[in-house]
Amino acid sequence: MPEQLTLYGHKVSANSQKIELALLEANAPYKTYQIDFFNKPEWFASKVNPVGQVPAVTYGGPDVNPEDPSPLSAKIAESNVILEFVADLYPDSGLLPKDPVQRANVHFFLNAVTKHVEEPCNAFLRGVGPYENVLKGFEFVQGLLEDDRDFAVGDHYTIADACISPHLARLKIVTETDLGKFPVGMGHKLGEELKGPKFAKLMKYAERMLERPSLKQTDHEESVITLFKTVFTERAQ
Amino acid sequence: MPEQLTLYSHKLSPYSHRIELALAEANVEYKAYQVDLFDKPKWFAAKVNPIGKVPAIAYGGPDVDPSDPSPLSFKLTESNVILQFVAELYPESGLLPKDPVERAKVLFFMDTVDRHFDRPGNDWMGGRTESYDGGLLSESDEFAVGDRYTIADACIAPLLSRLKITYETDIGGFPVGQGIKLGEALKAPKYAKFMKYAQVMLERPSLRDTNDETYLAEFWKRLITERRQ
Repeated sequence: MPEQLTLYGHKVSANSQKIELALLEANAPYKTYQIDFFNKPEWFASKVNPVGQVPAVTYGGPDVNPEDPSPLSAKIAESNVILEFVADLYPDSGLLPKDPVQRANVHFFLNAVTKHVEEPCNAFLRGVGPYENVLKGFEFVQGLLEDDRDFAVGDHYTIADACISPHLARLKIVTETDLGKFPVGMGHKLGEELKGPKFAKLMKYAERMLERPSLKQTDHEESVITLFKTVFTERAQ
Repeated sequence: MPEQLTLYSHKLSPYSHRIELALAEANVEYKAYQVDLFDKPKWFAAKVNPIGKVPAIAYGGPDVDPSDPSPLSFKLTESNVILQFVAELYPESGLLPKDPVERAKVLFFMDTVDRHFDRPGNDWMGGRTESYDGGLLSESDEFAVGDRYTIADACIAPLLSRLKITYETDIGGFPVGQGIKLGEALKAPKYAKFMKYAQVMLERPSLRDTNDETYLAEFWKRLITERRQ
């Protein structure tokens, strides 16, 4: 009987989506609770994550209402740490391979997504990072993908796929809507560039990831678009 | 019969130092090769790490000379990724706990070190930020997590050693005197647990035997010629 697992997240949070993808792909039972970013309940920082960020997970302890977290549960934060934790809880799910070399490839991929996708994309979206870094980052990650393979590492869905998929979903939104703080038109330009032959492998992989039922189930495109429209009102020149 | 493991490192790099510590604590046999970072051999980028940085490891494949890496060995970079790889190759070493919750604590500690200690520390050291408010960790008694040495300890220990050199010698890009001032600040009661932990780490044979404070201090002195005002 697995212990209780509660995921505190938000439907527009890419990092929260990573965890849900892993849980769904592993067929793991879990509870979710949406934390309102703009109106955080006081108990969240005091009882779940002192830093006040999502995602955060409680594991074990009595089966309580998510709004009343028990001091007896373990609290875990940081999306990549949580991804690994879920993979460790379900060692036969395939979320992490058993072989140390293949596991290292998954960990390297997670590290690469943080450095070469998340950081440049966040900076670009906020209008403070160059467009070129986004392209360079995607090129780097594309280089890690094997030819003719369905998944980022090995022959099974792993936390590597869960880690990058939400960012690929947001990439699609940004390139289609041009929403962001970067100069007007750069979102569309990015989309055009990614359609070229140079990024064919990455785009094929992205398409496969975006078609997965787990992604479709956790995809809240409209809410993300609404958030972007609210937050990205000024454009860089 | 365990496969061959070769570590490409350099005395100056706290990141390759992390790997040396973990390998020492786990009692692993391995080959060490110092890459001259100021005159890199061409084969290093071509055959081991295209980005040319240390640490990097080569695992498995035929038992060759480190300067002649085989295409058949597995190459891995990124110090925290390598730390976890070593821990998983040697599960009985205790470098990573077996319990998922405890493992998560170790990985979280490593993530926190990089985010709140290493990056701010590097920036301050290089004179790029105003002050070193490293979000100094308050975890720990004798070890970062649990009751034995894990890769969490290996991750932070080299940074602790360099921190000590900084506040003892005042060498760095920060304004003159700030190093000493940091040392004084760290004597406050609120840092007592952290400093005690740092001391325990510095005294472990794995660190003592792989540490060359004089060399580091001398090198930094030559490298850091401008000081912030």
